[in-house]
Amino acid sequence: MRIMKVAVAFVATVLAVAAGGASAAEGMKAGGAKAPVPLDLGPSAAPVPWQRYKVDSQGSSWPQTDWKEYSNSRASVTPEASPPPKFTAPLVGDVDRGRQLAYDRGRGGSCVVCHIFDKTTPSQPGNVGPNLSQIGAGRTEEWLFNYVWDPRIYNKNSIMPPWGAHRVYNAAEVRDIVAFLKTLQAPYEPADKVENPATRPAPVDNRDNLDPTENPGMFALDAGKALFAKAGPNGKSCASCHAAPEKAFKTWAATMPKWEPRLKKVLGIEEFITRHARATTGGEYLMQSDANIALSIYLRNLANGAAIKVDARSPEARAAIRRANELMLRKVGQLNMACVDCHTKERHANKWVRGQYLVEFKGTVAHFPTWRTSRGDIWDIRKRFQWCNVSVRANELPPDAPEYGDIELALAVLNQGEKLNVPGIRH
Amino acid sequence: MAEATMKIRARMEGADVADVKVLMQHPMETGQRKDEKGNLVPLHFITNVSATHNGKVVMEAEWSQAVARNPFLGFKVKGAKAGDKIGITWIDNKGEKSTVETTIAGS
Repeated sequence: MRIMKVAVAFVATVLAVAAGGASAAEGMKAGGAKAPVPLDLGPSAAPVPWQRYKVDSQGSSWPQTDWKEYSNSRASVTPEASPPPKFTAPLVGDVDRGRQLAYDRGRGGSCVVCHIFDKTTPSQPGNVGPNLSQIGAGRTEEWLFNYVWDPRIYNKNSIMPPWGAHRVYNAAEVRDIVAFLKTLQAPYEPADKVENPATRPAPVDNRDNLDPTENPGMFALDAGKALFAKAGPNGKSCASCHAAPEKAFKTWAATMPKWEPRLKKVLGIEEFITRHARATTGGEYLMQSDANIALSIYLRNLANGAAIKVDARSPEARAAIRRANELMLRKVGQLNMACVDCHTKERHANKWVRGQYLVEFKGTVAHFPTWRTSRGDIWDIRKRFQWCNVSVRANELPPDAPEYGDIELALAVLNQGEKLNVPGIRH
Repeated sequence: MAEATMKIRARMEGADVADVKVLMQHPMETGQRKDEKGNLVPLHFITNVSATHNGKVVMEAEWSQAVARNPFLGFKVKGAKAGDKIGITWIDNKGEKSTVETTIAGS
């Protein structure tokens, strides 16, 4: 046995040298039995400087506001709750204007996202917040003013954005909203089963994502397979080293992401592709490029049916998961929301934000990269994170951000045992 | 996506009717959309689609830029049987063309 070990170590050393890159040799652990996979350790795998998407391929736009005064997954900068402007009775406010503000999608995204009001409530209200049809009878004007201004005054963990404190509405507008809320005196809920969020059936996605006439994501699978066999600038293709990918990658994708000591961060498949290709074929596949996503889909598709089984035990993985847990508890953005606010059943998962259903963490990763019918594009998991951030009005991070790596690993751990099913198709 | 491709599936549905499903990979640019730099993306869309059954044209369609990206086409062919050939061809406003053929599977 001892001889075997020496032999393995020797082969490993040879492989590392053959791979050529100093980068490959650097990562060798003293006495390590396994050659580290060749990775380029140089420049970022994502465009530098990172710039937020403006439009996607269907022309839908991404908001361009810079929310740097609010926390995101990197910086914790949101100011603490401060005392609201002093409320002076009697209330001066315009009921109609208040109702208009409460229903306006253009400003806060509309209060209807989370609340039912009276019979004038627009279609498909949400139920993340309480039914407010009797709130005017139950609360004073001052209490309502303070709560809309900054709910943290009364409830530190409220999911509701601090509308006034975070400058979505000014004091006069909050007074208008309060004037409207005071008119809500009689119980109301939509009679229609689908209109009422309490009885609205949870969405079921039963499309066959692997049917090539159903899922445009399948085009990327073909493209990825072709890229795998295509020679890069060095004259070698992926297939030059990985001759039997169906066998070699039967479960690999289910073990990613993984802590990478040479980069000191959690590496997902997409960044791995960029760095491994640079170190081997010389191909340049920046993260979130069509080619990168196509290869990612191909490699994950090869592991379809394999249960997610990522390393969650090593000290490095544990540290990453610990960091991710903190990030997922952090309130971010102008809307001041944390991942756990929307995606844990202890808080508000399995409820409705207007017509959209909030899912739990489990079941959210095994189908990525996924074709988004609403966007006409394939998104990898990091682009989904970016969109989550922008949706709560927090500045997103570049796709290769170590913070996203930690979160991707933590999500994979919560999805251990879920079977890969790529490319996905979702709204 | 540089390469234009199509995915097709044809399957018997009852005694003499085949159900055909086609997904076409095409940007279907409306000429109205702006790119990241704010420039208009030129009009680029499929103008004509035709379907054949054993070589005989059974459907012809004229399309416009109002059809969405990656168009899906579904139709039924009467008088078909398992083993017959179904072909689809599209031509776009740049003269690009794509053809695909498949064999009808049993129900």
